[in-house]
Amino acid sequence: MARPKIKPEVRTETSAKAERRWNVIVRNDPVNFMGYVVVAFVSVLRVSHESAKRLMRLIHEEGRATVWTGDRERAEMLALELQQWHLDARLEQDA
Amino acid sequence: MTAEARTVLSDLLRLIAPAAARVAVRRARIPADDEDVTGYWTGALEAHASEEARLLASAFATAKGDPAVILLRNEAQALGFLRAISSVRLALRELVFNDIPDSRLEASEDLDDESLPAEKRHALACYACFGLLQQSLVAQLSPESMD
Repeated sequence: MARPKIKPEVRTETSAKAERRWNVIVRNDPVNFMGYVVVAFVSVLRVSHESAKRLMRLIHEEGRATVWTGDRERAEMLALELQQWHLDARLEQDA
Repeated sequence: MTAEARTVLSDLLRLIAPAAARVAVRRARIPADDEDVTGYWTGALEAHASEEARLLASAFATAKGDPAVILLRNEAQALGFLRAISSVRLALRELVFNDIPDSRLEASEDLDDESLPAEKRHALACYACFGLLQQSLVAQLSPESMD
């Protein structure tokens, strides 16, 4: 039986970078009301009202929360959409 | 709402549109490591905030009755209206009374402080009023979002 040829895996720095995950962080702000923030999360993140409320409470209590983690392109899109809802959203690279 | 009040409010909101756009961009944490992304992001935020303030001004200009009734045709328009209120509140907060601490803003009895200049008191009244309007709309649009 012939041994299968295994192509050596080449991982360049570029591909490793592309695979890094990004967090969308939302920080507490004193202007936006809790109900409004829940509506924003349901609309942008497409989560249930219960999940949106959990995130909102976490932000209110802890000052900030990670609301989404994944690839950079999607993270950028979500952070921009949340900023269009006037939330204090930002991108951070996953540690 | 009287015709005069409606005109004053609409004019105020039109005036605040460019400022609201600047505040939206200034507050945003725009990724700076990619020129294309930065340009797109800035343009999108500016356009969005200007459009929202115009939407709000036009809604007030066409409000009917006393108390005034603003008719929003669909959910998308209602969500836009919610964002527009948030944009104007943030602009007022940052541009007119950024010297007043958050804790004081939450105490409604302080909003009518006669020692404050008239324009600041008017801005505070608008800020509080828009907040009530926003909460009322959230309660109508999505009661399950309220605690």
